[in-house]
Amino acid sequence: MKTKRLLWLVLIVALIITIALIALEQYYVAVALIIGTLIMRHREIWSLIRTRKLPPVDERVRENTGKAIRNGFIYFAAATAFLMLPFSVILTAGPDTIHVLTGLFLSAGLVYLLSYLFYDRVEPKIAERRLKVLKTFLLIAGISVGAFIISVFLHNALSGLFGVEEPVFFCIAVFIAPLALVVGLIGSLALFIVGLAAKSS
Amino acid sequence: MKTRIKEYRTRHNLTQEKLADMVGVRRETIIFLEQGKYNPSLRLAYNVARALHTTVEELFIFDD
Repeated sequence: MKTKRLLWLVLIVALIITIALIALEQYYVAVALIIGTLIMRHREIWSLIRTRKLPPVDERVRENTGKAIRNGFIYFAAATAFLMLPFSVILTAGPDTIHVLTGLFLSAGLVYLLSYLFYDRVEPKIAERRLKVLKTFLLIAGISVGAFIISVFLHNALSGLFGVEEPVFFCIAVFIAPLALVVGLIGSLALFIVGLAAKSS
Repeated sequence: MKTRIKEYRTRHNLTQEKLADMVGVRRETIIFLEQGKYNPSLRLAYNVARALHTTVEELFIFDD
């Protein structure tokens, strides 16, 4: 009963925020929020439609919830820092930079969402060796986002402090980190699809 | 840890979904249990054993 109320609360809050975002003409964010809510709570919504009951919150789910909250907090803290970056270091004032950063942020968010939602389902269905590769791809995607933020900050800090064009962090931020993110994203997506399509033994 | 849940489940013509319903857990939990990738609580182990008309010792085999 408590879970059902919580689900309604999440849905109502998401609806209010969506209406506010539409009123502010932030359509992309509103669409992202609706899709995000549907994906995050698809199991519960589907179960309510099908059986009018919520899926059980069993002991394993309860154990994993703590980890999920912790990971979610880390992700959203990083994402906030990421989105604040163009404003804090005045990377460029152009809207293109903000679009690129938002795109990268959303991609990283996609990986986080996928791992949050499907890791549990994929883990028992794929071989140990593939699971290690999947973890590596997820790590690459996560580290690349962190490396991007740190490199942009360090590049701007060094350039601002010493007035020199610093090449190493520039290359990491512009070439290596985005490339690593793409590799991590595609790799983990491919393995998630393989895992979801596989039948459990 | 190895388990014989799958063997007993098929013997009783139960699907993972049905067994999950019977013991009040998600299907994913049954998958994890069958593959020995989750250490259940004593209550859950007992409930699964009861649903499959056997004992906890029969279902769960621990490697020393």
